[in-house]
Amino acid sequence: MNSAQIIIQIIIALVAIACAIPGTFLVLRKMSLISDAISHSILLGIVIGFFIVEDIASPLLIVLAALAGIVTVILVEYIQKTGLVKEDTAIGLVFPALFSIGVILIAKNANDVHLDIDSVMVGDLSFAPFDLLQINCIEGVPDSCINLGPKAIWVIGTILVITLTLLITFFKELKVSTFDAGLAAALGFSPIIMHYGLMTVSSITIVGAFDAVGPILVVALMIAPAATAYLMTKDLKKMLMLSCFLGVFAAISGYWLAHVLDASIAGSMTTVLAILFLLVYEPIITSALVSISIAIAFFFYQYYQELLVHGVNFEHLPLGEKIHTVFSKFILLDFIYCIGMAVSLAGFLIYILPKRGVIYGYYKVQQQKTEIMLLVFLLHIRNHEEESERHVKHLNEHINWQRLRSKTIVDLALKNNMVTIDDSIISLTDKGEEFTEKAIDYIITNKDAEIEEMKDDFFLFRG
Amino acid sequence: MGTAVLGAICGMLGSFAVLRKQSLLGDAISHAALPGIAIAFLITGVKDSNIFLLGALVSGLLGTFWIRSITKKTHLKSDTALGLTLSLFFGFGMLLLTFIQKQPNASQAGLDTYLFGQAATLLEKDVWLIAIVAGISLLILFIFWKEFKILLFDEDYTKTLGFNTRFIDVLITTFIVITIVLGLQTVGVILMSAMLLAPAAAARQWTNSLGIMVILAAIFGAFSGVVGTGISTVSGNLSTGPVIVLVAASIVLFSFIFSPNRGLLFREIRFRKNRNNIKMHKTLAFMYGIAKTHQNISHPHAIKILNGFQGFSKKSLQELVDLNYVKIDGQQWSMTQEGYQTAENLYDQQIKKSDE
Repeated sequence: MNSAQIIIQIIIALVAIACAIPGTFLVLRKMSLISDAISHSILLGIVIGFFIVEDIASPLLIVLAALAGIVTVILVEYIQKTGLVKEDTAIGLVFPALFSIGVILIAKNANDVHLDIDSVMVGDLSFAPFDLLQINCIEGVPDSCINLGPKAIWVIGTILVITLTLLITFFKELKVSTFDAGLAAALGFSPIIMHYGLMTVSSITIVGAFDAVGPILVVALMIAPAATAYLMTKDLKKMLMLSCFLGVFAAISGYWLAHVLDASIAGSMTTVLAILFLLVYEPIITSALVSISIAIAFFFYQYYQELLVHGVNFEHLPLGEKIHTVFSKFILLDFIYCIGMAVSLAGFLIYILPKRGVIYGYYKVQQQKTEIMLLVFLLHIRNHEEESERHVKHLNEHINWQRLRSKTIVDLALKNNMVTIDDSIISLTDKGEEFTEKAIDYIITNKDAEIEEMKDDFFLFRG
Repeated sequence: MGTAVLGAICGMLGSFAVLRKQSLLGDAISHAALPGIAIAFLITGVKDSNIFLLGALVSGLLGTFWIRSITKKTHLKSDTALGLTLSLFFGFGMLLLTFIQKQPNASQAGLDTYLFGQAATLLEKDVWLIAIVAGISLLILFIFWKEFKILLFDEDYTKTLGFNTRFIDVLITTFIVITIVLGLQTVGVILMSAMLLAPAAAARQWTNSLGIMVILAAIFGAFSGVVGTGISTVSGNLSTGPVIVLVAASIVLFSFIFSPNRGLLFREIRFRKNRNNIKMHKTLAFMYGIAKTHQNISHPHAIKILNGFQGFSKKSLQELVDLNYVKIDGQQWSMTQEGYQTAENLYDQQIKKSDE
């Protein structure tokens, strides 16, 4: 790993964090698609800025681009407020129009300059480490500059610091206005200010991240970590942390994936994000698919290398032919091996997954069985006053349980002070009485409202 | 020609997307089609637009179903699902595209026309394809018109009537996806959503009836296709997609402002009219209060006493005169019999109205 690689990784990790924070709030506020709209319409800002200063590196471009983003938001709000169309339609109308103006302006006026749509739309990180921020330069004197390191780090770092400061300062306000706009307004924070503040931050972040990863992938970096984190937790703080973490993870591993495949960093980052999301969303199928494709890729690579060395004319074949040739080298055993690997992984996952796995499911069923049995047992004791019915031995025949099981149940009840045993005669304690009462109530009324309470009670027995 | 047909079919199907609040589906699908194109190229290794369309179709459909299952199975909202699909698929497509570009293979050039679209690359064959698809979807639209309509406005009712809502749903979504995929070549990924939305949104302003809306949207779409292509050929050097979108956007803007029922202009006029009306009535009521204290209702009063009364203005006074409720004589005004009676009934009417 050389220093340029480290710098690129630092930059994308910073971008990922800077995107994940506003992204979380956008997802929670159901405004994810605004980020898409902003990321497209900043093109217009950049183009106009370019015409004013004729310099692609000018900071004015960034300012104008952020401004274009905010204008988009305002336009969308305005159109929505007229009530003529729904919000999503408003978004869908505004940004293509602004984007088209940008594209046409470029096509009309900037043909001979270095500003083409591709460079704006795709984004490239490879040269970021060499684009240094140098200050204190004296004209004509070489080496007079003070080198402050890559520019992109400064840009993103500043944005990140601002975002973090705002986040920490206004965390409470943001939280309230996100989940309950009405309450926030009643408490005296203006939801409008919060809204536009968030929009401004998102817009600036998108512009800052734009150079590095291109607009659509900014959207991926904003939404995907947040959505994945949202599937995993419902706590806002945890969600923020998780989405930052996921973003950074995807950034770093995406970088190495790009390195291996020799493809664009942004694209592979997004692919990693997609895999992460799918893993959380549909763990078994995804992990099976991923392992199949990794295994196939592994074999593919081996045969590919072999063909490169030995193959006649292999290098000059067109791409499709090449792939075809490599696959024709596959033998049945390889496929079996791939699928076997995937199946075993999936099977393994089915067993160990929390909440959805087989083992957990079995455990849960057992747990519930015990609970039901205990309940039946307690009800039985309660219903019978006669001593003969309450004799320990009688239970074995009457409720039709095996000896071992009935013993565990009685022990459990004893442990929880539900019953007392006097001379092999079981009787309910006050606590047991109360509990049984409640259980009967619950069974009879069976209203949703009481379930929660009962669940808490049942936790008594676990463990 | 191709763009006209495309615009028309986009407008037609777009009406459904807009009314179902799936406006941005077009955006998501058009992005989601990219990996399909790339994979189709990777597998076949040839540049054939039909195979590309097939790949795009498959991945577009995959994207749609992904969106649907995410919104159904998790607590993520549809906007997040759309954004996810859009960005993740597109990112994956980007990865594949850059991967392809690094390969030593000459025929990969031109894949990126799909990003922005170039109607000039349309061949006669493609136009025919678009026309055939348009014909089929028109036919389907006619056959299932009733079902589509009812599904659009009351899904639960449709279910109770025994229609297979899922089938209808999938049918219409599939056609939207097909249209989008066809349009990709002409207007490109980013602008496809506008193609779908704009005509429908414009048509929505002019009518409340679904049938008329679909027809209008088709006309608007075809119009913007023709005009956009025209402008882009005449001025040269402009890609077709953005021009078409801008034309469509101007139609929308025009509709927003000038449509007779919902338009902003007419709404503003109506609003002004109402306000003036209220002002006039207020003045009349105030005059009535003054006139009542006199034996002779036509007893003249100085206009000055009306000053400072909210709602009074020269204009409203003039209107009262025009309506013959009030007479003006120099600096004095006096009420007519007619005006007195109207004013007397003014509040009665309001009471009656609120009773209803």
